Amino acid sequence: MFNRYLKSALPVLTSLMLSVSVQAADLTDAESIVKQANLASYYRGADGRSEARMIIEDSQGRKQQRQFTILRRDHEEGGDQQFLVVFSRPADVRNTVFLVEKHAQGDDDRWLYLPGLDLVKRISAGDKRTSFVGSHYFYEDVSGRNLAEDEHRLISTDEQFYLLENVPRDPGSVEFSRYQAWVDKVTLLPMKIEYYNGNDKLYRRVEVLKTDTVQGFPTVTRSRVSDLISGGRTTMEFRFIAYDLGMDSGVFSERSLRKPPRQWLKRPQ
Amino acid sequence: MRSAVSSLIVLSALLALSAQASEPTDENWGEDDWAEDSWAEEEPESRWHGFIEAGTGQRIHNDPAVGRAETLEDVRIRIETSGFHGDNSYVLKGDLLLDGVEEQAGIDLREASYSMTLSDSWDLKLGQQVLTWGTGDLLFLNDLFPKDWQSYFSGRDTEYLKAPSAATRASYFGDGANLDLVWIPDFTPDRYINGERFSYFSPVAGRNVAAPQGRIDAKQPDNRIANSEWAARLYGAVSGTEWAVYGYRGFQPQPNGVNDAGEPVFTRLDVIGASVRGALGQGLANAEIAWHLTEDSDGDALLLPNDQFRFLLGYERELLPKLTLGLQYYLEQTLDYAALERSSASPYNPHEYRYLYTTRLNYRMWQDNLTWSLFVYHSPSDDDQFIRPSVSYRFDDNLSATLGANLFSGKRPNTFFGQFEQGSNLYGRLRYAF
Repeated sequence: MFNRYLKSALPVLTSLMLSVSVQAADLTDAESIVKQANLASYYRGADGRSEARMIIEDSQGRKQQRQFTILRRDHEEGGDQQFLVVFSRPADVRNTVFLVEKHAQGDDDRWLYLPGLDLVKRISAGDKRTSFVGSHYFYEDVSGRNLAEDEHRLISTDEQFYLLENVPRDPGSVEFSRYQAWVDKVTLLPMKIEYYNGNDKLYRRVEVLKTDTVQGFPTVTRSRVSDLISGGRTTMEFRFIAYDLGMDSGVFSERSLRKPPRQWLKRPQ
Repeated sequence: MRSAVSSLIVLSALLALSAQASEPTDENWGEDDWAEDSWAEEEPESRWHGFIEAGTGQRIHNDPAVGRAETLEDVRIRIETSGFHGDNSYVLKGDLLLDGVEEQAGIDLREASYSMTLSDSWDLKLGQQVLTWGTGDLLFLNDLFPKDWQSYFSGRDTEYLKAPSAATRASYFGDGANLDLVWIPDFTPDRYINGERFSYFSPVAGRNVAAPQGRIDAKQPDNRIANSEWAARLYGAVSGTEWAVYGYRGFQPQPNGVNDAGEPVFTRLDVIGASVRGALGQGLANAEIAWHLTEDSDGDALLLPNDQFRFLLGYERELLPKLTLGLQYYLEQTLDYAALERSSASPYNPHEYRYLYTTRLNYRMWQDNLTWSLFVYHSPSDDDQFIRPSVSYRFDDNLSATLGANLFSGKRPNTFFGQFEQGSNLYGRLRYAF
């Protein structure tokens, strides 16, 4: 699937690169690449909205689905962010709302609104490498991993990708011993990330299946996480994406938990 | 018996439904063929959802006061819809409940509300709604909104611990602080333990009693403006720490007073309190206090509850990935205790200091489809406990099952949890959501 996509995308990427490479020489500093990749993945525009849906497949091929709308606002580029996630599927999480104050330094603040109980439940800072709503994505895959937690090394550069090797500074805090990331040289989006466990066995892959350009920003519109040990995987698709809507900080508050902000949740025309 | 049969019929219908449901799901969400229709659902004018649930529960001890073994025989159909009207929104949510224990059928209107944004800083929510605030985990100090203890003790979904009320909620959102004002025109009490499903300890009889003779059917205060309930919360946050100040004027949510005619009554109650909640170390800490100011402000009226001071400390953290531990300390101090002792020589007087600890353990596994939960109330002062283990499994996005228990025990017959020892039960529920 990934290869097939790459082949079809290759001519486009090549022509883009030709035009870009006139101005930009290859980056050689790993820190600079991961910093730009982080911005490309998680900080496009000052804010943004998207609808998302996931198919979660277990090793026996049984499927579950999730559907939600996600709002994001950056306090500062590359720094703290706010997220509001409003679920519409499946039935048992419909109208559940999740609010996150993401801190670049320190633990995030997280709240969950359970409409049946009218309960605003604050959630203790948890392991960020556990399942996001029962999928194979981790919280960290969705909201980003603090760059300072890993050491980054540029292994190779080819026509399309920067290949980076990343090793955790605190190996006890994560389930992987290292991961490799293929960062697109043009868009600076990480197109594939492969995680190795303590036995140096490849066990987890995050890959981009499709990107689109939205308001000038290259944006991931389809991606997949595969658990290579169990055979389970989750595919996520984003649509109705819009950036720079002008949301203010108050959108990400208890008010929105109880009364989701219609103005920003409705589809852009 | 008939209800047990009807439960079985519903259970088999649920299983058949879920077997059918997996196919269309695959079509709509097929891996390489994401049907457009599932995106097209953003703003349908009317969409109906809900669930069908069957639940059954059995006493593990014989209760001579009640006689019957069943504590839960529910068949429940939830229908709900919500939508927008301009930028305003509405929610309609009702349950049709066939209750085999109380042998009745009825509609429980969970919500019929309309929410409006009046201005940049004011929201208004009108109608039948569930209301919750405060920082306790299954403990309530400043939340005097109606609870449903019968549902809670019999193993219905936790959602049913909160009962709805017809209310008006006005919310103000300011820069430094926010304000909620709630008006419940017609006093709405708890769905308290009334002797119908569970027996309770009667200090007069000196033993547990139940319906029909022991049924509590307390008369509510007259429906007058002066008898309506008012609740307020002023709240905000300072660098991640949330603070709140609360006020309430209304009545005791349970009929724990007795009038001159010897009938149970809801007595006046005013409450003021405060809470804080914030990150501490790897977890979350909270503290809450409340003064419950009653009609019997001197504490010497024999048949009326005294004032109380309530205090709560809590801490919750993720112990291991997917394993959450929550601990709470809770104190209820009966004020003017000397006056109470002077006026009543009953061996069943409350302790001056009733305190308890709670422990919560939650563990998720199998891609969050299986959840283990244990919640324990243990009171050293009353020498009683209430243990609530449960396990829930999601078969798929529609079908889920829960097995659990409500285990009460105590050294004395009259304590808060100890009196329900004969009500200890095991339960199971199967739900198909659509």
